[in-house]
Amino acid sequence: MAKNVLLVDDSSTMRKIISRSLRQAGLDFGEIYEAGDGQEALAMLEKESIDIVLSDINMPNMNGIEFLREKGNRPAIKDIPVFMISTETGEDIIGEAKSLGAIGALKKPFTPDKVNEVLGPFM
Amino acid sequence: MDLENVLIQATLEVFAAMIFIEITPEKPLEAGAAMEYNLTSLIGLAGDFKGILAIQCPAEVAMGITGAMLGMEVTELGVDAQDAIGEIANMVAGGLKEALTSSGKKTELAIPTTVIGTSIRTSGLSGSSRVMIPFSSPLGQFGVELRYIIT
Repeated sequence: MAKNVLLVDDSSTMRKIISRSLRQAGLDFGEIYEAGDGQEALAMLEKESIDIVLSDINMPNMNGIEFLREKGNRPAIKDIPVFMISTETGEDIIGEAKSLGAIGALKKPFTPDKVNEVLGPFM
Repeated sequence: MDLENVLIQATLEVFAAMIFIEITPEKPLEAGAAMEYNLTSLIGLAGDFKGILAIQCPAEVAMGITGAMLGMEVTELGVDAQDAIGEIANMVAGGLKEALTSSGKKTELAIPTTVIGTSIRTSGLSGSSRVMIPFSSPLGQFGVELRYIIT
């Protein structure tokens, strides 16, 4: 069954680009939901039926690392997989994200082909 | 580290992967020389490498780039252009950070800020060095500026 996706990024432009790239990559997905930071994402996860989260790291209010930490403390949503999409690709910060449950990372900028290659196995 | 080349390669990568507008780097501007622009997106770098990276665009160029990123016509220098050019600054700064990390410089990125106006000039970071690279495109010219101090 097609997965419902939550895009978490403070840039509305980036959310549109990721959404378009998912379509161009030919990936099978259901509804796309959007959140502008970690706090909005937590609220969305508790309200909607979401199967996978694609999240930025550098965001105001609640960044991607804080989001992962807080999500892990909420039993109802803690098992929803999160994939990081960020300009941050350092081993330290990606390592921290993975230690908090992130299942992978994709570097910005990216092409639709790269989206297909990296995200395809999770969709 | 060849910062000019790092900035050029990071900017070319962003435009090739996500904006699909052909751009060409030009000769870096001399110290004190400036470009005319209406929108600038700034992002701060802190740590071993302190600095401010700015993407500077005339209005028509900013609107054209924004339209290409969003896949729609953009006719005003508003929220969409602020967000889009800010995201370019973020990605170029990410490329710079990756190169700095590879050379042992630990650096943190801030969240971009975008300013719109007709007489914008950036300043700050007393004692800093400056790199200013103009890029030409079918939409017109824009600039990538870095002011920095390496500790």
